[in-house]
Amino acid sequence: MSVFYDKFQRHSEGVGLKGNSTHYCPGCGHGLAHKYLAEAIAELGIQDNTVLVSPVGCSVFAYYYFDVGNTQAAHGRAAAVALGHKLSNPEANVISYQGDGDLASIGLAETVSAAQLGAPITVIFINNAIYGMTGGQMAPTSLMGQSTATSPDGRSMFNGQPMRMAELIAGLDGPVYVERVALFDAKNRRLAKKAIKKAVQCQVEGRGYAFIEVLAECPTHLKLSPEETEKWVKEQMVPVFPLGVKKDLAVDPWWKRPSPDFEPAHMLKAAGASSDAASRYCEAFPTHLNPLDISLKLAGSGGDGAQTAAMLIARAAINEGFDATHIPSYGPESRGGTSYADVHVAKDEVLNPASPHPDVLIAFNAPSLAKFGPTVVKGGTIVYDSSIVKDVPEGIDPSVKVVGAPFTEIAVDLGKAVVKNIVALGALQAATGLFPKETILAAVRQALKDKCALIPLNEEAFAWGVKAVEEGRK
Amino acid sequence: MAQLKERPKPFLLPDYCKGCGRCISACAKGCITFDKEIDAATGYVPVVIDLETCNACGLCMDACPEPYGLRETPVDVDFELQDPAKLFGGKTTSAPEPVEIPNTLIPLPRTEPLVIKGNYASAIGALLAGCRHVFGYPITPSTEGAELMAKLLPKLDGTFLQAVSEVAAVNHMYGSGGAGYPCMTFTSSPGFSLMLEGVSYMIGAEVPGVFVNIMRGGPGLGNIAPEQSDVKLACRGLGHGNTHAITLMPSTPQEMLDLTMLAFELTFKYRSPVILLGDGYLGQMTGKVMLPDAMIKPGIPKWAVNGDANHRGNLISSIYLSEHDLEQHNIYLNDKYRQMAENESRCETFMADDAEILIIATNTPARASKGAVQDLRQQGVKAGLFRPITVWPFPVKQLAAILPHVKQMVVVEASNGQLEDEIRLALSNAGVTTLPAITNVRHFGGMLPQQTEVLAHVKAILAKEAR
Repeated sequence: MSVFYDKFQRHSEGVGLKGNSTHYCPGCGHGLAHKYLAEAIAELGIQDNTVLVSPVGCSVFAYYYFDVGNTQAAHGRAAAVALGHKLSNPEANVISYQGDGDLASIGLAETVSAAQLGAPITVIFINNAIYGMTGGQMAPTSLMGQSTATSPDGRSMFNGQPMRMAELIAGLDGPVYVERVALFDAKNRRLAKKAIKKAVQCQVEGRGYAFIEVLAECPTHLKLSPEETEKWVKEQMVPVFPLGVKKDLAVDPWWKRPSPDFEPAHMLKAAGASSDAASRYCEAFPTHLNPLDISLKLAGSGGDGAQTAAMLIARAAINEGFDATHIPSYGPESRGGTSYADVHVAKDEVLNPASPHPDVLIAFNAPSLAKFGPTVVKGGTIVYDSSIVKDVPEGIDPSVKVVGAPFTEIAVDLGKAVVKNIVALGALQAATGLFPKETILAAVRQALKDKCALIPLNEEAFAWGVKAVEEGRK
Repeated sequence: MAQLKERPKPFLLPDYCKGCGRCISACAKGCITFDKEIDAATGYVPVVIDLETCNACGLCMDACPEPYGLRETPVDVDFELQDPAKLFGGKTTSAPEPVEIPNTLIPLPRTEPLVIKGNYASAIGALLAGCRHVFGYPITPSTEGAELMAKLLPKLDGTFLQAVSEVAAVNHMYGSGGAGYPCMTFTSSPGFSLMLEGVSYMIGAEVPGVFVNIMRGGPGLGNIAPEQSDVKLACRGLGHGNTHAITLMPSTPQEMLDLTMLAFELTFKYRSPVILLGDGYLGQMTGKVMLPDAMIKPGIPKWAVNGDANHRGNLISSIYLSEHDLEQHNIYLNDKYRQMAENESRCETFMADDAEILIIATNTPARASKGAVQDLRQQGVKAGLFRPITVWPFPVKQLAAILPHVKQMVVVEASNGQLEDEIRLALSNAGVTTLPAITNVRHFGGMLPQQTEVLAHVKAILAKEAR
C-alpha cells in the first residue's frame, strides 16, 4: 500500500486531475523527495505511527499527499513543532520537512537547537537555492553571483554567503546522522532514497536526530528547463555544497520515555501536600498588633535568611487558621544584594500584600534599619540584629518600640551562622507576642521535616532569641 | 532452479504527466521522448514511452517527481487502465474513524493547605489538571513556575523542556497540543510578546494550550516589578488575524491554582488557547492554597494528531487557501468566540448590589480595592467592587446589571487604562450608552495601586461632589 493518499482530497477537494497530481511545478525536486520519503515510510512499516510536519514554503501542502498524521507549522518553526510532538508522543515517528528559507533563515534558531537537543526526529531539508513560494527571492543558500528577485545583480558579499547547513548541523554534538544528497541523476537519486530511509530508520530505532539535505531543482525560479536545472545543480551547487555523509555515528538505541504518571499519591507527594492537620496554639488573633491585618517587613542582605523567616511566619499564621501572604523582593538584586520580604497576617483575608508601612520590622543590617525604620507605623515594633547594627538611626517615630538582639552573635556561638533568622524569630516572638512560641516552632519543624537532624539546633536558636529579648541582652 | 520474475515496465496516464522530462535523461535505452502535441486536459506536453526497447530497469520511475506519474504497469488487472478511480483507488484514506478517549476524574483525599507562591500554585494546578508537558523559557517574575515543573515533572514521568526561545516554546506547545496533550508555558510580558505569532496559529489551527503570563513593567525591557500592561495584548492583540482567547485574571495564590485548572478545562472545551494574566506580585506572592478534591487524568481527543493508527487521518493546520473557505473558518471561529462570551464571562462582586461608587479592578489591585470598599462602607459610603475574572470575554452583562444605581465608576489598575478601555468597549458594544462618570487610580512601572490611594481617591470625589 502506498503512503500517498489514494486520492488527494485536500488538493482542491481532489477534483479532476488535482486528485492525483501534486501542486508542484514540472521538474520540481520536491516531488522526488516526497516519493522517497513515502517509500521509506512504507518500507519501514511505520505509516500508522508517523507524523509529518509541513513547513511554510512550496512544501506547505505536503499534507495533501502523505497519508500519515499531519501538522502544518508556522514559517521556520517546523523543528520546534516536531519536538513538541516527539516529546509528547515519544513512540511516534516525527518528520520535519522544510525548505531553505524555512530551515536556514527564519527558523535557524529552532533548527540548530532541535539538532543539538538530539531527540530522534528526522529533518528533511530541501535546498534549491531560491525561494519558491514567494516567487524567486534570494535564499540563505543562494549561490554567490546568483541573480534572484531580491539580488537582481547577483548575490554579492553584501548579501552574505550561502549557508552550508549539512556541515553546520554535522558540527553539532546532537545529531547522529547527517548527509547531503542530490537528485540530478539516477545514481544520486538512488543515494538520496537510501539516505532518507536511513534517516527515518535512525528515529525508528531510537538512535537520535538525523538530517538530510537534499539539493533539489527549482526550474521555475531559476528560469531554466528541468534538464538545465539538473545540470545547474550538478555544476553550480555541488561545488558549493559537497555531497556525501557528513556525520554517521554508531549510537546504540537510547530513546525511551516513560508514560505520564497520574497516581494521586504521587501527585500529592510532588505538590508537598499532607493530610496531617497542624496543631493550633493561638487562642485568638493577635489584635494587639493590629485588629485585622498585621503588616510585617523583614529586611537584610541575601543570605540573612529574611525570606525563609518570612515564609515561616506565613506558614505559622496559616497553620493557625489565619490568612497570610509573603512577597519577596526578587530579581537580580535578590541574588546576594539586599533582600526584603513583605508579610501580612490577617484575621480573615489579606487585602494589601505589600508592606509600605509595617507594624513590625525585622532588620538584619544597618542599611535596612535606616531605610525601613522610619516607615514603621506609630506604636509599631522594630527588632534588629544588635551584633551588626551598633547605632539606631534617627527618623524612627518615638512611639515605636525598638528592640535589639544579637542574632548573628548567638548563631555563631551555636556554630551555624545561618540560623540567625531563627534567632530573629525568637526575638520577634519575645518582642511582639505575635504568636505563641509553639506556633513558630511547629512551622520550623514542618519546614525541616526532611532534615530532622537540624531541628534541635533551630529550636535552640529560637530559644536564645527569645531569651536575648527577655533579658535585654544587646 | 530460481524462478526469474519479470520486472514491471513503466506505465503512464498522460493526464498525470507534467512533461518535465526528467525521465528522459534517466533512461539509458532512450525509450522515452516528448509527445508531439500538448495534452488538452493539462496544457503540458507529456512524454511517450516506447516499451519495445524497455528493459524495465525502473530508473525512469525513480526520476518521475509525480506520485501518480510514471509507475509500474499493473499486472493481472481486468479493469480498463484509463479509469483513475480504479487505478488509484477511490477512497481518500484507509485511516479509521478516530475514537475519543475521555478524561478521567480521580478523587483526592482532603489535605491541609499549602503555603506556596502563586507561580507554584499555578504549576500545581496544571499538574492536577493533567498537564505533564511544559515548555518554557526563563523570565522573571514567572520563572519559578518553570523551575518547579523542571523539578516535579520527572517525578511524574512528564516532560519539561527549556526551549531555545519563547518562539520555540509556543511552537513546542503547538506540536504537543496538536497531539492532544494538555500543555502549558510560564512567561512574562516580553516573552508573551514573542509568543503571539504562535498563539495566532494555535487559534487558527484550534490547538489547546495554557499561557501563564506574570506581567511585568514595560515597554521594552522595562523592569521586573508588577504591572498589568498586557491586558491589551491578551484582549486585542493576539497576533495576526481575527483572534480571541479566554483571558483569566486571578487575584490570590488560591486562584492561581483554581484558574489554571479552569484554563485547562476551557482550552480543551473550546479547542483554543487560554491565557492567565497575573501581575508580578501574583507570581511571587506566597499564600494559602487549598488543593481540590479531584485531579484529572487526560484522555485523547478525537481530533488529535496523536501519532497512532486511530488518529492517522487528522490534520492540524491553519491554512485555508480559498477565500471562501477562510471566510467560513472565520465565521466558525467567531461563533466560538460568541459561545465563549455567552458561557464563560466570569466576575466576582463585593457589596456591589446597592453600590453607588463601583470600583473595578483585577489581580492584586482588586484585593486593595476590596479593602478600600470595606473602609468606605465603614464610613457609610455605598461602595462596591466589581472584579472581572475573565477580562476577555468581559463580563459586561453582569456589569450592566448593576450600573443603574452606580453614580461613579473608579477603575483601579497598573497600566495606562488598558482595563478601562476594555470596560468602555464592552459597554459600548453591549449598547450601554448612559454611563456613570468614570475616573481612575493608575500606577505604572512596577507599583500597584494601594488601598489607601483608592480610599483617598474616592473621598476626593465625594468631597468634590459635596461642594
